[in-house]
Amino acid sequence: MQQGAALARLHKASDVCFVAPMRARVARIELLQGHRLAEIVLFREPEDEAVRHDTSGADNEAGLRRLMQTAGFWPWLRRRPFGGMPGADERPAAIFVMATDTSPLAPDPRMAIEGQEEAFGRGLHALTRLTDGPVFVCQQPGPPLFDGVPARGRLRSVDSGPRHPQGAPGLRIHTLFQASIEASVWDLHAEDVAHLGALIATGTLPMSRLVSVGGAALREGRLVRTQPGADLRGLTHRVTKPGPHVVLSGSPLDGHPARWLAPRHRQVTVLPGVKKGPQRHWLIGALTRSAAPKPVIPNAAIDQAFANALPAVAFVRALMSGDEETAMKMGLLSLLEEDVALADYVLGGEMHLAAALRAMLDRVRSEFAE
Amino acid sequence: MTRGIWTRETVVLMLLASYLPLTLFWLWFGGVEALLRLGFVALVLAFWNLVFLLARAQPISLAFLITALAVAMLAPEGLGVLRLALAISFGAVMGELVFGGWGRNVVNPAVVTLSFLGFGFPGFPWPELAAPVTWAAIPAALIGVATGSMSLGVVASAAIVAVGAVATGALPPTVAPVAGIVLVLLVADPVTSATTLFGRWLNGALYASLVTLFAGGWHGAAPVQVAVAAALLTSLAAPLLDEMALGIWYEQRRRRHGRN
Repeated sequence: MQQGAALARLHKASDVCFVAPMRARVARIELLQGHRLAEIVLFREPEDEAVRHDTSGADNEAGLRRLMQTAGFWPWLRRRPFGGMPGADERPAAIFVMATDTSPLAPDPRMAIEGQEEAFGRGLHALTRLTDGPVFVCQQPGPPLFDGVPARGRLRSVDSGPRHPQGAPGLRIHTLFQASIEASVWDLHAEDVAHLGALIATGTLPMSRLVSVGGAALREGRLVRTQPGADLRGLTHRVTKPGPHVVLSGSPLDGHPARWLAPRHRQVTVLPGVKKGPQRHWLIGALTRSAAPKPVIPNAAIDQAFANALPAVAFVRALMSGDEETAMKMGLLSLLEEDVALADYVLGGEMHLAAALRAMLDRVRSEFAE
Repeated sequence: MTRGIWTRETVVLMLLASYLPLTLFWLWFGGVEALLRLGFVALVLAFWNLVFLLARAQPISLAFLITALAVAMLAPEGLGVLRLALAISFGAVMGELVFGGWGRNVVNPAVVTLSFLGFGFPGFPWPELAAPVTWAAIPAALIGVATGSMSLGVVASAAIVAVGAVATGALPPTVAPVAGIVLVLLVADPVTSATTLFGRWLNGALYASLVTLFAGGWHGAAPVQVAVAAALLTSLAAPLLDEMALGIWYEQRRRRHGRN
């Protein structure tokens, strides 16, 4: 396969492709039950050769959509409510470009797009063709990341605070332009926007991304440019401390143990393996564990965990009691698992808020959206 | 993978740390008698917590020590063991344990206990707290707010309204210090006070207003009785205040985004 050649297509929308991130040979294809695709493993081939896509239609919306879908850019977009890749002909009410990433150990998006300012500006203007609503560029306070005349005032630069979760996409969307079932909102990373600009200019989608490798089980952290789906063992080779450890794709808060870098992740975290303590007596276990999770006590930490953007305790209570209507009024549809990860961490990991949020979103989708 | 620390027991430990100056001053002035009273109240509460641990598998929380401190400090004097044990049992069981333990209760168990004693045995004199003990409420509030276990809104709004009321002469200076102790021990309790930002400011202001109202209109009532009655009504009103604050917040968002 050449770099950028389609590896797989969606069954119901054949324009939407998943492409090879490098010139490679297909090593293995794994299917789940019902022939659902689980993973395609590639071996890298030596020469670099990339597919050039036809960019002649990128000036209009239909052509741009087609280019983004056939070049493999579409899976880098994420929609809210409910998360995941947007539908092939979905039109968002607003688009958020995240040029800030406040999650712990995250790479600085400004550094990621350094030297690609022109492509970034081109990508931003292309995004304004996909929506009638605003395109927000969320960044840390500083000089604006794009220049030129904003497209009819729809391109807006907004500053966010430096502490997590002030730059979390869900909370920015909740504050600035909340998503709803009728009006979806997309978000994508600033580096991907620069790549979109490069794709429109050259016809080739750059596949590198700035990824930070960090965590307590490493001798030293590092920043690398690698591809989506990179082998995490390769990225952490020779810098891991001896002893048991867990390699996560994603941040320490919301990452999951993985072998490959997940599609939208820009962080690899290596944490020391947790040793299991001595087992508690069965009677103590029976008496103390049956009432889990323990109730949430309102305190300043949980308010801060949602950056004071929503009534935190009331929202957590609605989430844990399965009160969908209240949670939707409070902004459930703008949020995804990563936005409640900090609250989950702060509360000691007992509440499993991310799982509760996902279960509630799935229920809302089946009840209201389908 | 990694875990934060703000579980229920951490909040309890922070609250206990903030009550430490208050407890030390009160024990210093109360002597052995105060210590025995605190020990007895804690013992009764520990018994009921143990019963609910064994019967309902409700994990014990150290929060019963806070309840014990509040009851021991503020309960009427000369009640005798039986009456006190009866009131504590009623307060702890009906105010807290039947709801599922600390964190799920609607009213503070100490407030229920003290109100029960006030209504049930009105002949017994309410305690008078020494001036240094009442001053110790200030460091308690500062530590509580600094550690995030008490809300700034509740404490600050109550203080502002109380200062205004004292300055205008509406709140007698004898009631204000005791009201401060009750504010720290009972009203600022994170579980039974309001949970929204604006609701907390309303909560503190309502408490101080009720104390002012009762102090002016309730003749013959002791300062502690006035403050406890205000605390009871405030904690009952807390969900309503939250609902009001949420209503305002929904309306603001609807105006800004044009939809809910």
